[in-house]
Amino acid sequence: MMSGPCTALVTAMISSHKVNLELAYILHSRPYRDTSLLVDIFSRTHGRIGAVAKGAKQAKSKFNGLLQPFGLLMLSWSGKGDLMTLTDAEQPQAALDINGSQLISGFYLNELLTRLLQRHDPHQILFDIYHETLCILVKDEHLEAVLRRFEFYLLQETGYGLVLDHDVETGEAIQTEACYCYYIERGPVKIDKTSDQQQGVLINGQTLLAIKDGSLVEALHLKQAKQLMRAVIAHQLGDKPLRSRELAMQKVL
Amino acid sequence: MTGSSLINRLIESLRCLPSVGPKSAQRMAYHLLEHNRQGASQLAHDLLEAIEQIGNCEQCRTLSEKTVCDICNNRGRDQSVICVVESPADVQVIEQVAGYRGVYFVLMGHLSPLDGVGPIELGLDILAKKLDAGIITELILATNPTVEGEATAYYIAEMASTRGIKATRIAHGVPIGGELEYVNSTTLSHAFNGRVEL
Repeated sequence: MMSGPCTALVTAMISSHKVNLELAYILHSRPYRDTSLLVDIFSRTHGRIGAVAKGAKQAKSKFNGLLQPFGLLMLSWSGKGDLMTLTDAEQPQAALDINGSQLISGFYLNELLTRLLQRHDPHQILFDIYHETLCILVKDEHLEAVLRRFEFYLLQETGYGLVLDHDVETGEAIQTEACYCYYIERGPVKIDKTSDQQQGVLINGQTLLAIKDGSLVEALHLKQAKQLMRAVIAHQLGDKPLRSRELAMQKVL
Repeated sequence: MTGSSLINRLIESLRCLPSVGPKSAQRMAYHLLEHNRQGASQLAHDLLEAIEQIGNCEQCRTLSEKTVCDICNNRGRDQSVICVVESPADVQVIEQVAGYRGVYFVLMGHLSPLDGVGPIELGLDILAKKLDAGIITELILATNPTVEGEATAYYIAEMASTRGIKATRIAHGVPIGGELEYVNSTTLSHAFNGRVEL
C-alpha cells in the first residue's frame, strides 16, 4: 500500500507531465508510421521536447498544416519519458512569411538548436531570442549580424559563453586597437600583430567588443565574428558538420 | 497462435504494408490461404517482377519499368514545360485532374538539411543538365506547401533564374467548398496575398 503523501507526490509527478497550450516552435518534423509525425519542439518553458503527433497527416486532423517550422504555436502535450504525445495545437498568429534564402538561414538556426540543446532543458531567454531572430530574418535586413547575435546567445545559454571583455592571460580589459588570438575554451589573448600564432582565431579588440554589445556593422567585424563563431560552434558540434550550412554555402546547381 | 512459423512469418511480412497492423495482417494471411491461393500466387509473382523490373525513368525519375517512362516518351506532350513534384503519387493526381500536357520531374523527396537531404539526393544535377540543354521554357514548381517544399521550390527557382528560364509556383489557398472560418491562418494569409482580379 502506498502512504498518503507518497500517492500525492506520484500524482503530482504524473500531472506535471501534462502541459497546456505552451508557446513553442517546431524545429523539425518527420513522418512516423502511416499518418503520424514525430516532431522536435522548442518550447518556451520546457525547452526541447520530442513528441508524436498522432494522425497529423490525415486530412481531418486538428494538427493539419499547423506543425510546420517557423510558426509560433501554442502546444499541449502529455506523457513521460523522452517521447511525449501532442494533444493540441493552436496558432496564435499567422506563421511568418519566411521564404527563399531566409528558409535556409531558418534551417541553420533549427539545426543548431537540435544539435546543441539537450532535451528538457528550459531556455526561456534563448526562446525569446529565437523568436526575435526569425522576425528580423523575414525583413531581410542585417542577416549576418542577426545570425551572429543568435549564435552568441545560443553559446551563452548552453554554457559555452564567449569571453569578450578581458584578456584571459593578463586579465586586462579588451582594448579596441589591439589584436587578439581567441583560443577556443579559453578566450582571447593579446598578441603582437607581427607574431604568427595560429592556434586560435585572430580577431580585433573592436570586433570582440562589437560581438559583446551586439553592434556588429562593419564588414571586417562581421567577417571576423563569423570566423570566431564558426570555429567555436564547430568545436561544440564535433565531427558531424552542419548540413544546412553546407546547403547555404553550395553554389546553386 | 497456430504454431506454424510459416504462417506467422507471412503475417509478419504483410505488416510491411502501410496501415496494416497485426490484426489486418492476420486476416489477409488467412484469407489468402483459405480462399484465394491463386490470387496469392499472382500477387507474389507480380511483387517479385515489379521489384526486379521497376526502376526510375532516366528523364524524370518517376517509377517506371522502362528506361524512359510513357509520359516522357509521349511525343504529343509538350517537352518544353516541366512540372516538378515530390513523389510519383503526385504525378498520378495531377494526371487525373489538371489536364496538364507537359512532362514531369520527380524529386522523390524534398530539401531537408536536418535529414541530410541535399540537392544531389533529389537528382537536381539531372534537372540542371535538362535545363542546360536549352529545350525547357517553363518550370512549374508543384512541391508541397510545407516549409521544406517551399525551400525546394526556391532552390529550383534559383536554378531556373540563373539560366533565364521562367519558373512558376502553384497557388495555395482556401479549398473549394471550405469555409473561411475553418481555414488555418497561414493558408488564409497565403490566399490573401495570392488574390486575383475578377
